[in-house]
Amino acid sequence: MKRVVIGAHLRREDIEPLADAIRVGEIFLSGVMVADDQPLSDRDLLLRVARTRAALLDRGTFIAIRYGLAVTNEHDAASKCAAHLSRWRALLDAHSNEVEVTLKIAVASPQKRPDRHDFKLGADYLRALYAARDAATVDERFRAAAEHALSEATRRRWLHRDEASLELAALVPRDRLEACFAAAADLKARFPHIPFLFSGPWPLEVFADADHE
Amino acid sequence: MADQIEELALLETLDHLLDRGVVIAGEAVISIGDVDLLYLGLNIVLANVDAIIRTSQK
Amino acid sequence: MLITNDEEQLRERLVFTESMIPERIRADPEIVENGLAKLVLSIIELIRRLLEKQALRRMDGGNLTEEEIERLGNALMKLEDKMAEMKRVFGFADEELNLKLGPVRMWE
Repeated sequence: MKRVVIGAHLRREDIEPLADAIRVGEIFLSGVMVADDQPLSDRDLLLRVARTRAALLDRGTFIAIRYGLAVTNEHDAASKCAAHLSRWRALLDAHSNEVEVTLKIAVASPQKRPDRHDFKLGADYLRALYAARDAATVDERFRAAAEHALSEATRRRWLHRDEASLELAALVPRDRLEACFAAAADLKARFPHIPFLFSGPWPLEVFADADHE
Repeated sequence: MADQIEELALLETLDHLLDRGVVIAGEAVISIGDVDLLYLGLNIVLANVDAIIRTSQK
Repeated sequence: MLITNDEEQLRERLVFTESMIPERIRADPEIVENGLAKLVLSIIELIRRLLEKQALRRMDGGNLTEEEIERLGNALMKLEDKMAEMKRVFGFADEELNLKLGPVRMWE
């Protein structure tokens, strides 16, 4: 038997009995028990983990661990996560009362994908792919309105998703979540022709990602 | 219309589950030359390929 | 909880990660026998796209050397060439590799 890991939490009480608590150092991982030969891409499992994740978030904020990590016991978990523990502890202490929200926006004119045959050098091709992705922009007024809608946020970050979309991620205090949704509804009323998807709450995902620190 | 929103809600939930969160090193690493590209989901894909091959061999 | 705007357009233009992963593959022997080549190619194409996405994320990090960027870009080009060759050899058009398994489609 192995456990598919969901997140890193400050306390055991935040996890049980919704999921199994696995102690690692001073914090705890949440896990869902599965058979050793269970394929991780099984849709039923994905949905089960997604539901558990949402229920755990109601208990308390946690750091999301990318789906796919499976551990057999505490020792296994500890060795895999050793490098992250103190950073996670600090993040959880700092943001224990906050959740993430995200605003995905489809851009009006998606960039054309560069043609591989127009390039000889690998570096030029990769840079062209990167530029095409980064060139995707949204209407300046919408951009400003979106940031304003999330003015309750303690932190905000714009992300490039691909050539056809952008995303604004934000950390908001739990008690301001409803206000954010009201603001998003306003945004929808003011900009009926800009396709977007505003969702939350989520655990620490974008703001737990070491790549962006 | 309600169906569409339901579908979007499901896609969004799975998108957050599968494409976000801290990547734990050592799960699935693909290298191109000396550059390590970490992709956790690859083991999910490979698990499927494996299952197909095993099934086809029965 | 979510709020969506212009759902029609949204569904068409936003790509979600989930759509890149095939639904639980039913172990139907018929599908497997007839579709193995197509299935394998589709999965390799998926991997190519995921690698590209990862390479772009590494570019975000801003700490790749010039040599690493060249190597990554080169590898991605070679992968695309290889995929094109395999599609030719097996006689598949781009659209055919958009695998449909149940209600979940692989991203094209």
